[in-house]
Amino acid sequence: MIGNFLDQFWSLTFGGLSLGFIYILIALGYTMVYGVLRMINFANSEIFMVGTFATIIIIRDLFKFTQVSEYATGFRLWLILGTALIFAMLVSGILSMLVEMVAYRRLRRMNSGVLAPLISAIGVSMVLSESVRILTDSRPVASPRAMEKKFLGQFFDAGIRIDNTIIVISALVLFAILITFVNKTRMGKAIRAVSMNPNAARLMGINIDGVISATFLVGGLMTGAAGFFYTLKYENTSAFIGFELGIAAFTAAILGGIGNIKGAFYGGLALGLLETYASFFLGTQWKAVTVFIVLVLVLYTKPNGLFGEALTQTRA
Amino acid sequence: MKKRGLISVAAAAALAAASLVAVAPASNAAAKTITLAFQGPLTGEEASVGQDELAGMLYAVKLFNAKNKGKYVVKVVQADDQGDPAQSAKVAPGIASNKKIIGLVGAAYSGATIAALPYYKQRNLPMISPSATRVSITDPAAGNIGFPVFHRIPPTDKVQGPALFKLATKGVSSPKVFVVDDQSAYGVGLVDYMKPSIPAGQSAGFDSVSDKTTDWSATISKIKTAAANVVIYTGYFPQAAPFFKQLRDSGYTGILAGGDGVLSPTFVTLAPASVLEGVRLTAGTVPLAEIDAKLEADFAKKMGKASGVYAAESIDATNVYLACIAKGVSTRDAMLKCVKSYSGKSLTGTTIKFDAYGDVAGGALNGFVVKGGVIKFDGPVK
Repeated sequence: MIGNFLDQFWSLTFGGLSLGFIYILIALGYTMVYGVLRMINFANSEIFMVGTFATIIIIRDLFKFTQVSEYATGFRLWLILGTALIFAMLVSGILSMLVEMVAYRRLRRMNSGVLAPLISAIGVSMVLSESVRILTDSRPVASPRAMEKKFLGQFFDAGIRIDNTIIVISALVLFAILITFVNKTRMGKAIRAVSMNPNAARLMGINIDGVISATFLVGGLMTGAAGFFYTLKYENTSAFIGFELGIAAFTAAILGGIGNIKGAFYGGLALGLLETYASFFLGTQWKAVTVFIVLVLVLYTKPNGLFGEALTQTRA
Repeated sequence: MKKRGLISVAAAAALAAASLVAVAPASNAAAKTITLAFQGPLTGEEASVGQDELAGMLYAVKLFNAKNKGKYVVKVVQADDQGDPAQSAKVAPGIASNKKIIGLVGAAYSGATIAALPYYKQRNLPMISPSATRVSITDPAAGNIGFPVFHRIPPTDKVQGPALFKLATKGVSSPKVFVVDDQSAYGVGLVDYMKPSIPAGQSAGFDSVSDKTTDWSATISKIKTAAANVVIYTGYFPQAAPFFKQLRDSGYTGILAGGDGVLSPTFVTLAPASVLEGVRLTAGTVPLAEIDAKLEADFAKKMGKASGVYAAESIDATNVYLACIAKGVSTRDAMLKCVKSYSGKSLTGTTIKFDAYGDVAGGALNGFVVKGGVIKFDGPVK
């Protein structure tokens, strides 16, 4: 078994890494909103699901790809991928903002406490997934393949596939942009201020609603990007895809320390790799069990997650 | 799994409303109104299976109502069990106590069927399932829990398991077979019935993977380590397509095969044609388009969508009831008696006649192969 594992180590690691980066981007959607509102935005999983469909709309409907089309190459390929990424991010980002306005804003103004937004989030989540289910006739939907999944090279025994490479590099770039945004811009500073102390931030003249909208927008953009990358890698989606991925990303956020951007990063990576290795060693049926045992063990020693102690400094 | 629970509650409420509408008095006073019911997953993750079967039933009813205008109006009450035994136990009492319903097409899933059986047996409601293939429901050795109300059209997994293995390894000189199930009762059962038919030295391994799986890299690593040249997936098409796709993308060149859960017109839309080329499938069913292209065209026109995986079985099951209704049957007792003594032709021309336990005797498995992005009928598995 160990010998087999070593044979497959790098190919498992690459698969786990690209899955991990998808988790990171979704986890950012959870963690940013939690940082600012101390609330779990359960609808984020459906924001992701909508992002996968937005990607398919571009590839299948705008560029007219089918399952028997020739693959795109050169400039046209990058144009298609770029359009799909931006569209998925915008759709998810705007939807995320709308969800906040419709489902949470009034509750927050009326000081409803923590439970009402929670049920409101679950409600939004159900409305979104059931609407898409009805629109898709309950069927899974596939993205036609626009890009040939070729191997770029070998690393030890593992082939490095182009889609995994694109995911890892683009996700790193997006993450770097997000960190810069939160740490260097005015809006980023405002988000951090609201997350530390909303009342003090309001007294300093910060427009709380604006900051919260921006947070949902940024979280949605990241989650939408995850939808694009997911579709690029797996090419299949359905109205229910959000639940499983959402739980996984939420777990990643908790593992890293929810409310903490860096925590989402390491939590996502750890989860992606852990899931992949555990599935190989123990069988895929033990994946979830292993992941949650590890999560509980981590929380035993670090109740706020791996990066929980830094919560007050880099929150948001 | 809080979310599912909540959906269930909402679905139960919606069902109550739907039932009221469905049994509203007929507009045509002269015609005799007969009510049948359908039970299967109509919402939730398995909804496509139930919606497809329901469309098959409604298609048969539509033809019947048009043909018997002025004489009979058949109505269909829809019961949504989400394919879930717990939900099934919630909707079944209502269906069982609705005396207007004299026959039920369903339940779609074996687990949901077993959960509903106590209620239907108590109220003597006849059932004909288009797709519940679990062996134990009609197995005398397992207590024959379906007797006397349960009947089904498709052959059981006891027949399908060995047939699937046979088809998958056909023409392979030294098969090394890797079998992956989806952890569902259907998938695990199919593997259990396949195992005795696997000759020594031909097994390369087994894996059991949740039907929520999206990333198959761990299973693929195992398949490569085992150097398998035949991979069989016993699960449903939404997972089969991505699994096969990821397996092929990893460089696997051997044979891919699956059971009736994979045989859906949607399956071939979920992966590039080049990836699915040559995939081998078994099923007791035959797609409507294979039976007759005109039938499929008429179905698509009347129902507004292409037929699904158990369309032929759903139509066959409904036709059993409709034939009885045409004979003047209007009560549950008479319907049960009529179903038990029924003998007629299925859409494919085989004889439908239920044995004492509720199975159609001598059900054969058919083979299919994917060619150029289309599932082609490949004749019975021999």
